[in-house]
Amino acid sequence: MALVNPDFAQEIAKHGNETALECFNCGTCAAICPLIYEHFPRRMIRYIQIGAKDRILENAQELWRCLHCGLCTQTCPRGADPGEVILGLKRYVVADWRRS
Amino acid sequence: MYNPKDIIDLIADNVRKTKNPFGIPKPVINQWWKKANVPQKGDALLFTGLMYQFVPYIETSTSYLTRFEDTKWADYLKYGKYIPKLLSGLGLAVITPLKEKKKFNGILMDITNILNKSKVDFYYDPNLDDYSGVLLYDLGDQDGFVQHARYVAAKLKRNGIKKLITVDPHTTYALKTLFPKYTGESFEVHTYFELLNLTSKNGHKKIALHDPCFYGRYLELSDVPVNVLSSVDIECAPIRNSGLFTNCCGGPAESISPKLSKEVGERRIAELEKSDDPIVAMCPICLGNLRKAGADVEDLSTVLARQAE
Repeated sequence: MALVNPDFAQEIAKHGNETALECFNCGTCAAICPLIYEHFPRRMIRYIQIGAKDRILENAQELWRCLHCGLCTQTCPRGADPGEVILGLKRYVVADWRRS
Repeated sequence: MYNPKDIIDLIADNVRKTKNPFGIPKPVINQWWKKANVPQKGDALLFTGLMYQFVPYIETSTSYLTRFEDTKWADYLKYGKYIPKLLSGLGLAVITPLKEKKKFNGILMDITNILNKSKVDFYYDPNLDDYSGVLLYDLGDQDGFVQHARYVAAKLKRNGIKKLITVDPHTTYALKTLFPKYTGESFEVHTYFELLNLTSKNGHKKIALHDPCFYGRYLELSDVPVNVLSSVDIECAPIRNSGLFTNCCGGPAESISPKLSKEVGERRIAELEKSDDPIVAMCPICLGNLRKAGADVEDLSTVLARQAE
């Protein structure tokens, strides 16, 4: 069971992650991503939106498959900047590792 | 796939202690200028960011990472940070082939040659040429990146540096975009090919030019090398997915997952090879990774140096 936290998007904003709520989950990012991997990065963005912090931390390794190539950001119809959202999540997870 | 935490901790520790991701002393890595015809005084500082110099060491270290990825030995990587830097760094330097070091040093010599031919007012000072820290940024180690970037920016400012000439897209992005944002220090930054003024009578040629993500999308500079190539009568074959929509070479994943890196690289090679023309790259990471994935690739500067009068 995953706990949801509607304030999570605000919590990660300090890691430079301010556009995740713009996403309407159309999947363009997952379709163009060179990883072709299990709805990446859409699923991670959805986790932010519903505040599924535990799911993000459980699946944190996936974030480092991202090549930071920027194709998702280039093609996002909502300007949600998925590439920067993933980078912001990496920063959040690294900070979490360092704290623990 | 390796545990990203192990890779990040190792790289961050190396950068903190030795100012580069491999833990190799800078005088060992940065030797190209000793044999180059490079001015010691001038208007703009040539700032390589050490990226081309790193490629042979990346190739050596990723050959080991490839061997142990997804095996029980992969977990031992986390102990890497406990090995003294001088020992691990010099060890890596010794096992890295001299031929590869010469090849990548040669690219920097080609860049200085074409800058000289273009009568660009520049100089090089190895003491001021440092790694930008951009890998820490890409890996999400924000604190590590900012700390290192501040060190580099402060050193440049202290020495009165205002203009920089860069040679790779990652360092260019770091200095142009990230340094002003995270260190508060700004410089006038140009990539070397923005400054070239070359001519040629060596005949028409055609190449398949791979746009790196950072020149194509992040910095939107793809038109510039195409125009420079055109000025020396080299035509760029149309490549599926270029410019703003260029495809990644797979290089950024090479430390976390060499398998993934190779898979993405092979897909890009398939696109580039459709033209049947020689493949040319303009980023050390792309050059290294496309070669690892099986392509015969030359650097833009090598092609320009050969073709220019």
